[in-house]
Amino acid sequence: MSWRRLRTLVQREVRATFRDPFTVAVLITVPLAALLTFGFVLSTEVNELPLAVLDADDTPASRRLLADIDASDAFRVEPVRNRAELERGLVRGRTTAAVVIPPGFGRRAERSDGVRPPEVQLSYDGAEAVLAGNAEGALRALVGASGAALVGAGSAGGIALTTRALFNPTLDGRPFMVAGVFGFVLSFLTTLITAVTIVNERLTGTFDQLQVTPATAIEIVLGKLLPLGAVFSLDLLLMMVLAGIVLGVWPQGNVVVFLLVSMGYVFMSLALGLVISASSVTAAEAVQKTVMFSIPLVQLSGFAFPIRSMPTILQWLTEVFPATHYIRITRAIYIRAAALDTLLPELLWLAVFAALLAWLAVRTVEARA
Amino acid sequence: MTRARSFWTGVWAIAYREATVLRHDQAFLSMIIAQPIIMMTLFGWGLRNEPANVPWVVLDRSQTTASRRLVGDIQATGYFLPPVAVPDYPHGEARLRAGKAIAMLVVPQEFRRDLERGAARVQLLLDGSDPLTSARIGAYVAQVTARAAPGRAGPPPPRIDARQRFWFNRTLSDSHFFLAALVGMLLTNLCLSTMAQGIVGERERGTYEQMAALPTTALQIVLGKIVPLVGISLVILLVVQCAVGVVFGFWPQGSWAVLVVVTIPFVLASLAIGVLISALARSTAQSVFISVFAILPSFVLSGVMMPYELMPDGVRQLGGLLPLRWYQIALRAVIARGAGLVDVLVPLGALTGLLVVLLALASWRLPRRLG
Repeated sequence: MSWRRLRTLVQREVRATFRDPFTVAVLITVPLAALLTFGFVLSTEVNELPLAVLDADDTPASRRLLADIDASDAFRVEPVRNRAELERGLVRGRTTAAVVIPPGFGRRAERSDGVRPPEVQLSYDGAEAVLAGNAEGALRALVGASGAALVGAGSAGGIALTTRALFNPTLDGRPFMVAGVFGFVLSFLTTLITAVTIVNERLTGTFDQLQVTPATAIEIVLGKLLPLGAVFSLDLLLMMVLAGIVLGVWPQGNVVVFLLVSMGYVFMSLALGLVISASSVTAAEAVQKTVMFSIPLVQLSGFAFPIRSMPTILQWLTEVFPATHYIRITRAIYIRAAALDTLLPELLWLAVFAALLAWLAVRTVEARA
Repeated sequence: MTRARSFWTGVWAIAYREATVLRHDQAFLSMIIAQPIIMMTLFGWGLRNEPANVPWVVLDRSQTTASRRLVGDIQATGYFLPPVAVPDYPHGEARLRAGKAIAMLVVPQEFRRDLERGAARVQLLLDGSDPLTSARIGAYVAQVTARAAPGRAGPPPPRIDARQRFWFNRTLSDSHFFLAALVGMLLTNLCLSTMAQGIVGERERGTYEQMAALPTTALQIVLGKIVPLVGISLVILLVVQCAVGVVFGFWPQGSWAVLVVVTIPFVLASLAIGVLISALARSTAQSVFISVFAILPSFVLSGVMMPYELMPDGVRQLGGLLPLRWYQIALRAVIARGAGLVDVLVPLGALTGLLVVLLALASWRLPRRLG
């Protein structure tokens, strides 16, 4: 292995990459756009959700309950005249939740004998499973609190529960998504770019030219991967800064460890792209293969859906994807400030995968020589 | 009359050619056969938002039957793995930090005495790095503790008796949420990438010039390209909804006619986006690239995967520019809630409006390429 030859190869690669404005634009804009798109979308908090309300009681007590619900930020009360209108709102998807206060609510609240407590009916649009679940929590809490004030704090039953979320007290969705987007971008875009550039080189014949130079297979692989690796390391920094400034999410753990692990992961994904390129004839085919490989990546790596909730067979399958392990590490370092030694099994798996891919990448280039 | 007939003959000829091209396209075939199967399996069977198998730890300083019953009651909700006992706070926090537990329940020493007095309290520490799971776990545990009561006395009467009902989906299962919008995802993939790649690929091979040399007008060529894809989209709609009905027992509640009525403007709008992408891309690889990065954000922002109602202002309105947003609203209304045509007029109007804008944009970009 000669450093001089490697330097020449790297220079060649840098020039080739920067001559193509499309690739440069993709390399810079896609990671940042992905970060902003994904960063904002996850929320567990119900906010100004339209709530259909049918007050058949219309007493001071029922109006008080509705005023309490309206005063919260979670719901915006929309009165309806009858049940048919309420039902229509649910069917159309205009309202996701509805409250009906039957006649007699005020009378029972006044008496408050504990035998026949005042009754309300809550309906949710189950078709919006996630939203309905969140609305249920918010609405129950509001009705419960307002009810306690209305009826008077009588027999206090139950156990008082104090809940505290560590690492992210407000249960904000942004850190979760930001940490996941690193995994998504660094897995997907890296693989895609290498696969496409190499297939294109092969088509134009410049790859064959490289192989007849005295450069060895290892040098060619490194010459390809180092410049792209540098670009993605820059992306990594840009994403970190953008997430910090725009979304207010900074890494809580050791930044150096995070960057080192991420860079290792970048090179691994680039090597994967090189291997994919070997089995593709056209660039379009390479892209399609990468996309087929990436669909499970988004859905099975724990980026969007919890792995724990999957059927057991799928859980085993997810363990095979390096992205799953990388996303776990990112979240641990980024949000929980986990120490390195607790992440050793994950790191070990990534290292095994990286070694395997590096070997395959060199083999790929050799086989073509 | 004859002019009208010769116009449609031209369209038919192009449509026939397109259908033949597509039939021999391996990537296209795998997309319309493999993708629906993969996505249906994933969304119908594999993916859930609701928590399951949640690992948790218990710091039980009380060590009484009362505290063990509380742990048992929480365990009985079915969302948790068997709890791991920890001797103190640092051990529990370390497990949370290492990601080996999502929740930690702390039962104080005086728990049983306090419970008999009616003033018992426990603490629940959650892993905030997974906000969706943690929020739900918190709610489940709160429901258990609210019902807990000392000794043999039954649960205390509620202050307000809230009777709940989840319409259209009694068990609140996530799979119905995904399956209702599944066809929207499939058609977005199909229309955007096939249209964009089709046009760019022809430009690369030079067959576009051949077509331009035919005695057909640009309008006929565009219509001829669109007709087979609209047909395939409707077949996919039919097959996928039937498959979802047979496999998961989830049949459309509304009428098929309304489904078709809302699908057509959506498919046309998606095809128009495909045409726009083809105007941007210079090679097939680039067109696949741009399609992928047009499809991904539309999945995220439209609300097919997460409810758009929960997104912050700005992001929510941005998603309103996507045809998929309105299509998934209409799909959920018709498939899950049995809405009629009158109920989906708003999304239908929005889809038509978007279609007009997209067509104007596409026809503004296209002639230059055809000429």
